[in-house]
This record gives sequence, structure tokens and C-alpha cells, in this order.
Amino acid sequence: MNVLLKKFRDALFSVIPITIIVLILNFTIVPIDNTSLIKFLIGAVLIIFGLLIFLIGVDIAIIPMGDMLGSTILETKSIWKIVLICFLFGFSISVVEPVLHIVAGQIDYVTAGAIAKSLVIVSVSIGVGALMTLGVLRPLFNIPLPIFFTIAYSVIFVLALIAPPEFISISFDAPGATTGVLTVPFISSLAIGLFSKRAGKASEEDSFGLVGITTSGAIMALLVMSIFARNVDLSHTINQYTNTSIPSNSIAGSFLHLVPSVMLETLSALLPIVIIFLIFQVTSFKLSKNSFLNIIKGFVHTFIGAVLFLTGANGGFMEVGVIIGGTLTSLENKIVVILFGFLLGAVAILAEPSVYVISKQIEDVTSGYIKGSLIISAFSIGVGLAVALSVIRTIVPGLKLWHYLLPGYGLAVVLSYFVPNLFVGIAFDSGGVATGLMAATFILSFAQGAAGVIEGSNALIDGFGTISMIALMPVLTLLIFGLIFKVKSSKGGTQKNEQ
Amino acid sequence: MNNNTKSYELIYVILNFGMGSKVYRFARNLGIKRGMIILGKGTVKSPFLEFLGITDVRKEIVLMVCESSKINDIVPQIVDNFNIDKPNKGILFTIPIKDFYDLQNNGKKYVSEKVNKNGGAKNTMYDAIFVVVDKGKAEFVVEAANEAGAKGGTIIHARGAGEYEIEKIFSMEIEPEKDIVLIILKKELTDAVVNSIKEKLDIEKEGGGIIFVQEVDQAYGIL
Repeated sequence: MNVLLKKFRDALFSVIPITIIVLILNFTIVPIDNTSLIKFLIGAVLIIFGLLIFLIGVDIAIIPMGDMLGSTILETKSIWKIVLICFLFGFSISVVEPVLHIVAGQIDYVTAGAIAKSLVIVSVSIGVGALMTLGVLRPLFNIPLPIFFTIAYSVIFVLALIAPPEFISISFDAPGATTGVLTVPFISSLAIGLFSKRAGKASEEDSFGLVGITTSGAIMALLVMSIFARNVDLSHTINQYTNTSIPSNSIAGSFLHLVPSVMLETLSALLPIVIIFLIFQVTSFKLSKNSFLNIIKGFVHTFIGAVLFLTGANGGFMEVGVIIGGTLTSLENKIVVILFGFLLGAVAILAEPSVYVISKQIEDVTSGYIKGSLIISAFSIGVGLAVALSVIRTIVPGLKLWHYLLPGYGLAVVLSYFVPNLFVGIAFDSGGVATGLMAATFILSFAQGAAGVIEGSNALIDGFGTISMIALMPVLTLLIFGLIFKVKSSKGGTQKNEQ
Repeated sequence: MNNNTKSYELIYVILNFGMGSKVYRFARNLGIKRGMIILGKGTVKSPFLEFLGITDVRKEIVLMVCESSKINDIVPQIVDNFNIDKPNKGILFTIPIKDFYDLQNNGKKYVSEKVNKNGGAKNTMYDAIFVVVDKGKAEFVVEAANEAGAKGGTIIHARGAGEYEIEKIFSMEIEPEKDIVLIILKKELTDAVVNSIKEKLDIEKEGGGIIFVQEVDQAYGIL
């Protein structure tokens, strides 16, 4: 029983901070109407239980399966099999990702059908599959991570120069579009399974970075797509958020009407993973009946958990996000807005499931040498800064998204040469990890609300791009944490020798 | 090289995840100089958790070297402070060591005068069984041990590096992954449990694995 209680406490403490901040705001400067507040609280409860069940499921199904799969692929020892299998994995995970379908739909609309939705989905999935394959091959041929990322982001930079500017923010949002709540744990545990056998120190280092590499594939694919769309009439405005209207005003109704679509989304994201598992179970895993049943149970938990927290976040958190964003921004004192932007970003990410999965994996791989709490605080500061910087961008008219992205990614690539490789992998993974559920619901609606009120800023275009920032900032904070860690641990090492 | 002729013991503390650093810090204040923390998995037994599919829980194993003369002072303090003798708080046991080399200190050698010289009224009814097998087989080891009367075990994940076992895939060196299962049990059960594991896992076959048994000096928290 102790085990469950502890997991429940973890889930509780990840949702309490954001609840407290929202309640404080409610009783001070941003009064929220009762219906929305009750919805928010119900959402919070759903997220707590969803998180609890989901994380148990990930623990007993997704992580062991990714792990076994990695080992099995490596044992084929045939480079063509590895290439083929990895490409198919990347492709099939991406092609069913619900968020990608939404983004592809928007591109279809913006280009007035010149770039069809299905074309976007297929080409992004090819990009994801291709880069995932390269990411798996990288350690096999001993190419260091910093060099790999330098090449990848140089390609992205060149593509971004050629691509029409309207597409840049959509493209840099791509990490959010391709890494859902299921794909992040799956890809990262696949990497751990692949490389944990590696001799020497590199086994830790190579266990991370695959998520980051995979998401850069999505950015590339979208930029390439947009270059072909150069001559297309872009007069349609980007209206990503028109579909977020809430049709039902009754409290229970606003949650219940979400359930069928959320179930369908989760099922379609989970299905390829389950199918891959069943194929490998028959051909190579050949698990005992008990272990097999356990993994199936894990898939069921994962499904139930994901449905609960997706429903909670979509039904309860989005509305409150818009209200807070809107009311806060109308305040005279802009410093307060920026400050609360930081605070809300920092607490919202604590409820992100992928953050917990990855920090636990980091603890496991490094035998507790790097504490999960360190990683979580880096995420928290990073996302806080991302939201604060996005708020600043809506206030200062001349500031463009690329003013952040270009120096940001430049700095990240440069820093990667000075930071221990383990942190480089973790940092670049964090872009995909942070742009999950909380970013897409609460933080995005906050930014939208904020942009909607400020004069001269376009709610649709300026709200957009927040995801790009959330994908960028944790990369930087984790690299900086890595740098501090390196300096501190080298000091500690010399002290020990002196004793 | 100086030979220090005092006797030494290795203290093992197995606790829930997150407690390891606290115990180590506490022990350091009591004068323990060398120690390390390993991550492991403990088996859980509860019909409800089994129904949910939860079969193991993260544990931390703290290993500390301690002089035998101090051990009767330090161990009870750790046990009291972390309630190790209460159910579900953890296990503490000590194993005498023959000698050790302090590699941080130019390989200075420490030799125990006599192993097990402090017998007498102490609790020496327990053995520690270590089983090293290929990754994924740990659950069968625990199953086999439980059938013979053991009450669960702790699994440590490791990489093996046997004489012929390092191979290369392209330009990447591979070390096969291993599971180490640590089982503490009453002496009279040892033979039965070892035999059960041996039979179930074909340990005698080449590459089947390794079993070794160590005598436990003191033990706390074993139900």
C-alpha cells in the first residue's frame, strides 16, 4: 500500500502548486467566475488521478517495452534491419499523433489547400522516422552529440532562411506537435534499451538525446514543406485556436463531451505501440504469461490515465488560462504580468507527465547521481522563462519570434561543446518533453488570453510561438545546469582526493 | 604499504528510494568514511498491487565499510534513527570482510585480523545469497527462491564484463546486461533456496550465472 500512497503523493504535489497560484490570483487580482473555477478544480482532481494511473502504466508497460525493444533491435546486428525498424517506428508513432493532425489541418487551411493535410502528416512522419534512424545510428558510429546537433541545427537554420517567414513559428512549434504524452516515454526508453549495454561511460550519455534528434526531424520536414509552398497565397490568417470554443456550459457536460474524442486520440496514439509490442512478443520477446499480462495491464493503465488527465486539462485548465491571461495583461503594471507569466509557466510544467518520466529515467540511468528534483527545477525555470519572454514579446511590438529563436538555438549549440555529454542529450530531449500536455492547454491559452488584450498585437499570431519558446528555454536552462554541475562536481572531486 | 590490522565489516542498508543519501549522511556523521549508494528494485507482495500490475518498487542500497569495533555503536543508531526494525522500513545487515584496499589512498591495504572474531551473543542466523544472471531473469530467481521459502529479494541492475563477453556492434562496444538478486534469509533455508534457483535457472550450464552465499553477521528489519 505504501507504494501507491507514495505515488499518489507525488501526483498530488505536482498539481497543487498550480492550483494554489490560480486560487491566490482568484482571491486577489484576477477574480474568476464560479463555473470556471469549479471546472478548474475538477480538472485538477482529474489530472491528479490521471497522472497517478498514467505514471504507473508507463512504469510497468511503456518503459520496459521500449527497453526490451531497444535490446532486441540491437541484437539483430544488421544495419539494414536497424534502419528499417527504426524508420518504421518513428514514422508510425508520428503518423497517428493527434496534435500533428491538428497542426497539419491548420497548414492546409492557411495555404488554402495548396499543401494538403495528408501531405503534411506524411512528410513530417518521414522526417521524424529519418531523424530517429540517424539518432539511433549515431552512437553506433561514435559521432558525438554536439557535432550531431550542430549539423542538424545548421540545416534547420539554412532552411529557415529560405522558408517563408509565416511558417517559421509553425515549424518551430513542431516539437510540440510530434511528441505527445506517449511518444516521449516510448522513444526515451527505446534509447535506454538500445544503449544501456554500451561499455564505459558512454552508456549513460547515449541514453538521452534521441527525443531531441527526433523532434528536429519534424522541424526540418515542416520547413522543407513550406519552401515548396513559397508561391502559395497566404492571405488566410492563421487561426489555430478557433476550435477551442466550449459548446457546453454545464460543468459536467464540459468534461463529458470531451471524453469520446480524447479516448479516440489516446487510443490512436497507443495503438501502434501496442501493435509493435504484440508483433515482437510473438517473434522475439516471448515473455512469460505473467510478464505479458503485466504489460497489457500497463497499457490499460496508460490509457485510462491519459484519458483522465487529457480530459481534466482540456476541460478545466484552458478556460482559466484564457481568463487569467486576459485579465492579467489588462493591468497597468506590466512587470506584474511578466512575473505571473513566469510563475504560471513554472508551476504548470510541474504537472506535465513526461517531465516525471524523463527525470525518473535520468535517476535510473545515472544511479541517482543526478537527482530528479534538479532536472524538474531546470524544467520549471526554463518554462517559466519561456512564458515570461513570450509575454514580453506581446508587449514590445518590434520583437519577433526569431529574435529569440536564432540566438537561443545558437547558444544551445555552442554550449553543448562545454557541457558534459549526458546533459547535452537530456537538454535537447527536454524541448520535446516540455511541449506536452500542460504547454498545449494551460500555458497556450494563457498566452492567447494575454495576446488578445494588448493593443496592436495579433492574438492569433502572437499567441503562436509560445510553444516554440517552451521547446527552446528548457534546453538552455538544462545546459546551464549541466555547466554548473560540471564546475561543482570537478571541485568536489579534488576535495575528495585531498582528504 | 601499511597494513592496518583491525577487523572490518561491510554494512548493507536496503531502503526505499530517496532514503539512501540520508542514511549515508547520517552514517558519515557517526564516523563512517567510505560508502556508496546503488539503485535497486525490491519485490512487493500484495494481491491488490499485483492486480494492478505493480510488482516491484525502487530501492536504494547503501554500502559502507566500518571497523568492527565501532559497528556496535553505529549500527544501532542507524537502526533507531531510521526505524529499520519496524515493518516496511528497510533492511540492514553486515557482512565481515577479509581485507580491502583503499584505492583513493594509493592502494593502502587494510586487513581484518580474524574474520568473525566477534561472534557470541550476536545474531548470526542469516545468510545473504547473491545471484548474478542475465538481464530479465531476475524475476525467475525471485520466484524460485520464494518457492523454497525465501521472502522476496532485491534486484540490482548491472552490466557484465566476462572474459569473452565484450563484443562490438559496428564501432560500439557492448557489455551484456545482468541482474544481481540479493536475498537475505535464515541459515536453515539457504540450501533449499540455492538448490531451487540452481535447478530453475540452469546455473551450472556455461554462461548460466553465478550464485554465492555470504554469512551475515548482524541483521535488522527482516520479517
